[in-house]
Amino acid sequence: MASRSFLRLGAFLAFVLAAGVAFAHAQLDKAVPPVGGTVTSPNEIRLKFTEGVEPRFSGIALAGEGGAAVPLGAPGVDPADNSVLIAKVAKTLPPGVYTVTWHAVSVDTHKTQGSFSFTVKP
Amino acid sequence: MTPATSRVVAGAILGAAAALSLSPAYPHAVCGDRIFPATLAIDDPGVGDELALPTLTYLPMNSGGSQQFDATFSYTKTIFPGFGLSVQDGPTWQNPGGYGWDSLNTEAKYNFLCLPDHELMASLGMTIIWGNTGTGTQATPYNTYQPVLDVGKGFGDLPKSLNILRPFAVTAELSESLPGQAWTNGNQNSTNLNWGFTVQYSLPFYNSQVAAIDNDFFKHLIPLTEFAFSKPIYNFAPGTNQTTGTIQPGAIYMASTWQFALEAIVPMNSASGHGVGVVGELHFFFDDIFPDSLGKPIFGGK
Repeated sequence: MASRSFLRLGAFLAFVLAAGVAFAHAQLDKAVPPVGGTVTSPNEIRLKFTEGVEPRFSGIALAGEGGAAVPLGAPGVDPADNSVLIAKVAKTLPPGVYTVTWHAVSVDTHKTQGSFSFTVKP
Repeated sequence: MTPATSRVVAGAILGAAAALSLSPAYPHAVCGDRIFPATLAIDDPGVGDELALPTLTYLPMNSGGSQQFDATFSYTKTIFPGFGLSVQDGPTWQNPGGYGWDSLNTEAKYNFLCLPDHELMASLGMTIIWGNTGTGTQATPYNTYQPVLDVGKGFGDLPKSLNILRPFAVTAELSESLPGQAWTNGNQNSTNLNWGFTVQYSLPFYNSQVAAIDNDFFKHLIPLTEFAFSKPIYNFAPGTNQTTGTIQPGAIYMASTWQFALEAIVPMNSASGHGVGVVGELHFFFDDIFPDSLGKPIFGGK
């Protein structure tokens, strides 16, 4: 009887694994400029998430030292990869530390958020 | 296992499966920028649609002097956002001692607090371990009632000047085990105070907020240590109110829809066991796997 119970458990686990699809919370996997990195003035902020994101409900904000907002273009996803959210940087950034703040809604509507800094070298 | 117990187990599984067929995505333990992983010695502070299957535990010598092996499962179903019901059960082998099926363990849990900016989360729960549902060495003729408080705090709100500390998080649990029967076969059933905490360092948080990690394995890893303790505080036999507990260093690999945890189990004293055990768990986040059907609350989902 114990073996039959384990068979049921095994079948249930197999069902879970078989039914699993790749939707989840969109967590930041990689960024350009890199998280904590030092770069020349970037042309865009490119965020690679672990899941596809909805650009209408996702956003990127950029702030310089002291919190002054830096204008960015409207965010959009890479046409070839909906897990990549991109916003154009409207002007050349002077040297300093910048903070990227993002929020994302994955294609299954889970919400995530976060922030990181990068440095523009002289 | 007796036919009666098999029916109970099969019923529990079928019940969970039936609930799945009715149901729906309340996020697992996410508060602000923090994702609290499911931990093993104590519960995380979140409420979500989750399945832990299996959780395997090996103790070279438990507190009773026996070698022990457990294989359990745990399933949680959200009823409405922030409130869930869970069921846990499984077999235990002891040598010497023999085989037994654990008493059915159920919990109703409500996540009443999440302060996103401070990554602070808290939940209250009521666990009932049902008497007369276990077999063999695990048979208990009475219910045990256990109110539980779970709290989690991430340190992502520390200033950027303390960046290296921001991936840290702690979770804690406090509960009291209240047996429904004071005496059984001439033995006292003690009321126990249970407490524990975890210290975690989230490399996923580090990768996304502090500095990029190039290694695909390490950026999913959360090294942690769990501490869990228990002490009889009422109705205990003379000399048996010693504090027992374990210290459990390990790591959790967190993927998008599942996680795998592996920890050593180090008894804190001889009353807690002897030798270093091990526990591993595969855990699925149903809110991420089935966001539009099985993984969302039955009522009040998105």
